[in-house]
Amino acid sequence: MRNLLLRCYPARWQARYGDEFEAILDEAPLGPFDVADILLGALDARLRRRGQSTDIVQRREFFMSLRIGGIAATVAALIWTVLGFATGSQQGQPFGGGVAILAFAGLLALLVAVTGLSAFQARSHPKLIWTAFALIAAGTVAMAAGAAADLADVVAAGWNVVLVAFGGLAALLGSALFGLATFRNSTLSRQAAALLVAGPATGALALMVAPVALDLAYLVMFPAVICLLAGWFALGVSAIRLDRVTSAPRPA
Amino acid sequence: MDHKKPGFGRFTEPSLLILVSLSNGPKHGYAIMQDVEQGSGRPMGAGTLYAALARLEDLGLVEPLPPVDRRRPYRLTAVGASELAEQLRGLSAFVDQGLRQLGESQP
Repeated sequence: MRNLLLRCYPARWQARYGDEFEAILDEAPLGPFDVADILLGALDARLRRRGQSTDIVQRREFFMSLRIGGIAATVAALIWTVLGFATGSQQGQPFGGGVAILAFAGLLALLVAVTGLSAFQARSHPKLIWTAFALIAAGTVAMAAGAAADLADVVAAGWNVVLVAFGGLAALLGSALFGLATFRNSTLSRQAAALLVAGPATGALALMVAPVALDLAYLVMFPAVICLLAGWFALGVSAIRLDRVTSAPRPA
Repeated sequence: MDHKKPGFGRFTEPSLLILVSLSNGPKHGYAIMQDVEQGSGRPMGAGTLYAALARLEDLGLVEPLPPVDRRRPYRLTAVGASELAEQLRGLSAFVDQGLRQLGESQP
């Protein structure tokens, strides 16, 4: 992966900085935030080499990543809330065409959120963060396949339901692991992180209860979903607020 | 003379953090990253670090030293030290003004 990242830079840049850059990549634990940062750095190097530059690449700061991650987390929570209402009102009916597409959009936002908000945690818990990222990425791919199955009208085969269910479970597990790393790191909101862990844990309890008491399982699943959505929303808001506090406008 | 003065328009925050980190002696890339993270509490990615370092080097504010193993230390140039001092004085004046205004508005 390190070689792949290095190859994203122009050849002349690699000849000048390649050795020392590789030494840094060998020493520093890399998380999704770092990979995104290196890819943006490579884009910046290529644009500079061509005498072009964009403001986004030039003026990006650490808190921009935090802001993007925070916004993505709140957007994901909102999409999943809408999705909850949409599927709740269609109880007992087959998935509508838009459900997988909406769920895919929600997971994609979650992937952006994990990337933008993982800078602190990836330093201390790189394995947890990468596992969370991999699970949510796998869930996103499954959701995309589910959406494609919907669009291709192969709903009768039931594949879309399997893919959507897998995507949902992967998102739950990924959220729990990300919440755990965030809670341990304690730079972002610990309360929000605790909700991210509590939601999937309660959801797992509901799944265990389901074979013997379905009504109770529904009852337990409701707070689990609320915890998860509230966790992502609160984490997103806390990241945006952290950004606002630091980059407040200067007085005239 | 103003047109020769290097500006901080690009990578404003990372450039300043790197220059401050180098102000107490030469450091290689990973040491700068650690220093910035400890000092500011903000992680700096390797992509941001080298994008800013390349610009600072082009502007003549920092210069590379011979590598030790694969690590290459960087140090502030005289121009870099003078530009950093000017930037910090500007920030200090801004902080003083802010604190003064805050004091005046407090009952």
